Amino acid sequence: MTAIKLKTYIYKPIHIAPLAFFRIAFGAVLFISSIRFIVHGWIKDFYITPRFHFPFYGFEWITALSPAGMYALYTCMALGAFMICVGLYYRIATVLFLCCFAYAEMIDKTYYLNHYYLVTVMVLLMSLVPANRYFSVDVLCNPSLKRTHVPAWTINTFKWQLAIIYIYAAISKMNTDWLINAMPLKIWLPANQFIPVIGKWLALPATAIIFSWCGMLFDLSVVFLLVNRRTRPFGYFFVIIFHLLTALLFQIGMFPYIMLAATTIFFSDSFHMRMLKAISSVIPSLRKIDIQQNYVPSPMFRKPGFIFLLVYFVFQLLIPIRFLLYPGKLLWTEEGYRFSWRVMLMEKGGTTFFYVIEPATGRRIEINNRDFLTGYQERMMETQPDMMLQYAKILKAEYEKMGIQHAAVQAESYVTLNGTGSRLFIDSTVNLAEQKETLFGHKKWILPYQP
Amino acid sequence: MKQKKTLAGLLSVVTVIIVLISCSKSNSTGTVTPPGTGDSALANIGTNIIIPSFQTFSSAMVALDASVTTFTATPNATTLSAAQAAFKTAYLAWETCSEYGFGPAADQSLITATINIFPTDSVLIKSNISSGSYTIDGIANLKAQGFSGIDFLLFGADNATTLGRYTTDASAVNAKKYLSAITASIKTKAAAVATAWSASGGNYINQFTTAIGVSSGSSLSLLMNAFVQDYDVVMKSYKLGIPIGKYGTTVLPLAPSKVEAYYSGMSVQLMIQQVKALQNMYLGGTGYGFDDKVIASKVTKNSVPLNDVITAEFNTLIAKLTALPDPLSAQINNNLTAVNDVYTEATKLVVLLKVDLSSALAIKISFQDDDGD
Repeated sequence: MTAIKLKTYIYKPIHIAPLAFFRIAFGAVLFISSIRFIVHGWIKDFYITPRFHFPFYGFEWITALSPAGMYALYTCMALGAFMICVGLYYRIATVLFLCCFAYAEMIDKTYYLNHYYLVTVMVLLMSLVPANRYFSVDVLCNPSLKRTHVPAWTINTFKWQLAIIYIYAAISKMNTDWLINAMPLKIWLPANQFIPVIGKWLALPATAIIFSWCGMLFDLSVVFLLVNRRTRPFGYFFVIIFHLLTALLFQIGMFPYIMLAATTIFFSDSFHMRMLKAISSVIPSLRKIDIQQNYVPSPMFRKPGFIFLLVYFVFQLLIPIRFLLYPGKLLWTEEGYRFSWRVMLMEKGGTTFFYVIEPATGRRIEINNRDFLTGYQERMMETQPDMMLQYAKILKAEYEKMGIQHAAVQAESYVTLNGTGSRLFIDSTVNLAEQKETLFGHKKWILPYQP
Repeated sequence: MKQKKTLAGLLSVVTVIIVLISCSKSNSTGTVTPPGTGDSALANIGTNIIIPSFQTFSSAMVALDASVTTFTATPNATTLSAAQAAFKTAYLAWETCSEYGFGPAADQSLITATINIFPTDSVLIKSNISSGSYTIDGIANLKAQGFSGIDFLLFGADNATTLGRYTTDASAVNAKKYLSAITASIKTKAAAVATAWSASGGNYINQFTTAIGVSSGSSLSLLMNAFVQDYDVVMKSYKLGIPIGKYGTTVLPLAPSKVEAYYSGMSVQLMIQQVKALQNMYLGGTGYGFDDKVIASKVTKNSVPLNDVITAEFNTLIAKLTALPDPLSAQINNNLTAVNDVYTEATKLVVLLKVDLSSALAIKISFQDDDGD
């Protein structure tokens, strides 16, 4: 019985409208996001100005392109996003966008954001589904491509992905810092106490604790509210309130809008039909009578596709819990922190004094980090041990060029986490230039967190 | 059917709110906050500390420029010593402004990187004077002007020799012109910045007090970034670290000639002035300042209220500096332990300001979006 149900859940033909609307909405947000990045001048600030970059482990071969190359990369990205939105050469567009976007994100972990990771995985999934078979330029040019129904999995895949994101985000909030100490909101909310109307409430201690609990409960329940037809309006109402409030209070860029666009996938097909009709009332050539035509994936890809998605989701479930492989407090060591949907969890700041030691003379040279890194890179490096290690190797290589052979690199690093006061973060006697980065190895030179 | 309408309604509400949020954000520096709702720390620090600092500095530059004019018209021992005294006053006044290198000061290039680069390039100054061809504010000339340039021109030798350079020397006319060009340039910039800040002038104070919040572009973020940079890099690294050989690749560890105000020998005085100005800004003078914000945050460090830790460290550092007699270059040669000691205290304050203070108030040294990780 359940097997049949599961089969229906995966293969049952359902209307394509949610997928088409999702493609338009998400593509539009990606396009705006790419243009915004270019307009802000971030290509220069992030990829042209810095002398050094912090690539991800195993992807050290990904380097920043020439200035012209970087602009070309982002132009292709924006073009790909636009083509996704309108459904033009859709499969090519998704692959183009994915390659450009993933490449740019892999250049430097300084700029890692959870919502960039979210964009990467969503577009990866989009490249697997026929979101262009309805209400698209592709169909307009070649009507034989048109399909009105798709197997349920092509739409449900996105719901599973969003469920993983929200539920892991909820789990990451189930700890003493967030629920009992109301940290970091107890610091962040009063910082906004001068904004009009709601500002005066934000400084109250009770507000932080209420927001913390509501935030956790929202993340935990929103997917269930959205799945259920009866509770869906409430669910989306909470989505709006939650994400727009975060947009108002925190500097988190496109993230709220990406989530507002992505969660529309939960709406019913008749809702999406109405939305598409509303759009087609502006563009009459899109108004055509539908005859049911089912999309059937080519048999060649059916099995590999199924296996790929299975493996993919197993990884999606495992990656966020890889932090269990490491000892110590996760927020402190940040080992296994990225790619795990941990958003807005900590107020962490640091400063690090690096020293290059010349073995021959014992002379100890203090480093002005701004001579090597941009302010943004420095700030990120100062709380993240893996970046300190990469920076130490940069320093060793640079001082070798300046004539100091086999330099040792030490760092005196002070970090404060969630307002607990700065304290030594790593062992300042360790020669960081000698330490090796590994895939899942624990960095023994991170000092244990002392509450 | 009803549900679909609700959802469609919600979706249109979202669109409207998004438009509102993006509009309100892009205008955040221009909007006027209703009276009584602004950040009183910004109003207090802007009105009672920053504006008076720039005004005092501007007046001191007018006085310095006037005494240099008198000196170059009639160079003698009296006018020289008057110019030297005016220089010291103006230099000390600069130390109370150097931490505000954003907004008007950045627009006018009235910042350490343009008017107080040290050590000065005395060779370039000499060649400029003998050739008579230079652009005083040019990028190639940055190391041959500003306060360290005047420092060399007025104190570069004993007073008799200095007077000779403006009277009997073959390039005396050019030397006078060069000195006047420097003071005139700083005077003009200082006046422009003071005007730009004032309510009756450029009214930057209005923008400063209304750009509330802590995100990048807010006044707190600009201020915090500027004074941390001024303290961490200019004070700790340039004024102390480099002269005592903490940086660089040279094998010779000490470089006492690289101190600020090497020729006039007032380096320690200037540092005391800078740290006191920073302390005063932190305390908001007698009004609402960073200290009140830190107290309200209830953040502690090792179970001691953070504000107590910061104010104590300010006092310790000022006490250690006060115990150090000028000139700093001689102290570096003869009393290095005491100077190293000051450096250690200065470093402790860097950690407190850059890490603990900024974190307690959630002010980020931030340039882009964040998701808190």
